[in-house]
Amino acid sequence: MLTGQITSAIIGIALAGAILFLVRRDHLHGPYALWWFGVAAATFALGVFPALIVWLGHLTGIVYAPVLPIVVGLSLVLIRMLKLDIDRSRQERQIRRLTQKLAILEQELDRIGHAASPPVLPRDSNAVQPPG
Amino acid sequence: MTGLSFFIGEARFVDTRAAAYGECRPLLQYPIVFSPEPAPLKASSCLAVMPARDEAPTVGAVVEGVRRTLGCQVLVVDDASSDDTAAAARAAGAAVLTLPLGLGAWGATQAGIRYARRNGFQGVITLDSDGQHLPDSLPLLLAAQARDGANVVIGTCVARLSRAKRIAWRYLRLLTGLPLTDFTSGLRLYDASAIEILAGQEASLLDYQDVGVLMLLSRGGLRITETPVTMLPRRAGHSRVFASWPVVAKYMMHTTVLCIAQLDPARRSTRTAGVDPTC
Repeated sequence: MLTGQITSAIIGIALAGAILFLVRRDHLHGPYALWWFGVAAATFALGVFPALIVWLGHLTGIVYAPVLPIVVGLSLVLIRMLKLDIDRSRQERQIRRLTQKLAILEQELDRIGHAASPPVLPRDSNAVQPPG
Repeated sequence: MTGLSFFIGEARFVDTRAAAYGECRPLLQYPIVFSPEPAPLKASSCLAVMPARDEAPTVGAVVEGVRRTLGCQVLVVDDASSDDTAAAARAAGAAVLTLPLGLGAWGATQAGIRYARRNGFQGVITLDSDGQHLPDSLPLLLAAQARDGANVVIGTCVARLSRAKRIAWRYLRLLTGLPLTDFTSGLRLYDASAIEILAGQEASLLDYQDVGVLMLLSRGGLRITETPVTMLPRRAGHSRVFASWPVVAKYMMHTTVLCIAQLDPARRSTRTAGVDPTC
């Protein structure tokens, strides 16, 4: 039989370890990595030292302390989701503007290409250096 | 303060239907800061922008009609079509922007507006590529712009409005405080100051060209006017907004949220005070 503390430590360490593993694989942009490092640290600390929750409960005057991490966690999830949608909206705006710009520049390129004389092909293909 | 007074005048929304009956009454009068009265636009300094998605059968004839009527340059914005829309438009003498991703009618129109701004056009006339807007009605927009000193002219077909649309527009009038008859008409004329506003970042997240766009323009202090035109029923395709009831419901909810998000209580109270209740 596991004691409550061991169960909580296992959950905390596994969650923190998984987050750290994923963050270290470098798929996350800077500020997100920082956020998730914070989450990993918090789950680790609360998992290994569940007494912290009781202590925080006393400190904040909440009678049933275990509800505290649930409420705080849920609030953070909601804030995180809101931030996610804000970021997605910003990216949507950027994608739309880039798409428009791309079409405009492509049209200009076509126009310039048509206006100029047709490109002269080099006679000796060996004489042309590959770009880069 | 006297230096400022030049820029402070009265914005007038003129109901051109009333003008047709021999009376021209300003629906609203409220002090607002706006640019000096715009000069009449010449057709030759305008660009006709036609957003098109899979409109190959009709786009060529519309381009030719616009070029014949106004003699202005025509830009077809191909909204990621899967047919030969771009080729048909080019063959008819239009410049073509091909969007690599579908951005919808407004996204395509905005691409055209940004093109116009980049290339120094003084005005943009937008019309649909499906042939419902008659090229013959385009000079009416320019005439209305010159007559009313407006920054934006909307071509409205009153007869075509269905009962559902009339109810919807009444609701939108109430919500936005804009005294307009048709919010979704794609037949419009924008002048240089409207182009400046609509080419900006703020207009890029709008999904429809109607309420959001009009509120943005109205917030910028521009004069919006309407002029009656005749329109044909769509030959091909369907209204993007009034396709089916779920779509309408989604559109109305979307628009309601947009309006609530942009409400400005101080300005709204002065506006609604002036709106003709019979409108």
